[in-house]
Amino acid sequence: MATLTPTLILNSADATTDVLNFSVTDSLNITGDVVSLNRVALSTGDLTLLAAASYTKSYVYLKNTDNSIVINIDFGSTLSIALAAGELAFFPWESSQNIVAASASGTPVLEYALFEA
Amino acid sequence: MATTTATVSINSSDLIPGQPLSINASHTLTKSGLTEGLEIIDMGRGVLTEASAADALAEALGTADTSNWIYLCNKSTNDLHYIKVGIHDTLIGHLGAGEWLWMPWNMGDNVAEINIEAEGVTGSSITYEYAIFQESKTLPAKT
Repeated sequence: MATLTPTLILNSADATTDVLNFSVTDSLNITGDVVSLNRVALSTGDLTLLAAASYTKSYVYLKNTDNSIVINIDFGSTLSIALAAGELAFFPWESSQNIVAASASGTPVLEYALFEA
Repeated sequence: MATTTATVSINSSDLIPGQPLSINASHTLTKSGLTEGLEIIDMGRGVLTEASAADALAEALGTADTSNWIYLCNKSTNDLHYIKVGIHDTLIGHLGAGEWLWMPWNMGDNVAEINIEAEGVTGSSITYEYAIFQESKTLPAKT
């Protein structure tokens, strides 16, 4: 069993009068599969990035490395996340539906990793 | 225009033998396109009761297909407590005790609410913490 330590930090000096300076961390037990940090060039066609049948509960990291093109992420066939240029996400995935990725245009590169609980 | 920066780091010293994991990625919150500044911010804590139905953490009240972000954390310390997180009818995942998520929420249509539901121990309560950064929000109509 391995330990994964994810941390989120949110900062803003001018979003509100009160400075935002926020941090949260966790310690996760990883006992299953790992898809180590990987990159894939997408097209406008759907790519099944992570197949639900292959994993149980997992933690997923996604980052759009492109500087202008949006990447759409579907859970099954439902568009759920649009990652704009440079944006990232980290979330628990219940593996109930495939994670499918496609570009809004062109061939942006998606960086991703998976850690199975 | 406000500048808000999100940084996610993911570290492990024992995930892959001989290869410590150290992901460190940042991005600035932008409106649709690349304009900086999400000034609508809603932060707080709440309590969910197991056995109640799913609740909308945030309704999709605003312009569809805009840039919005969700931070959500399950503050429970009981390993049996988890929170189901979904966008309308799509289950995203289960947030276990102490776990958090950071993800965009694009309000693809007016029923694309973020919903949460406590699960795990009948009758128990789960405290959650959240922050929502929005580009667009329409206030509910007066009743």
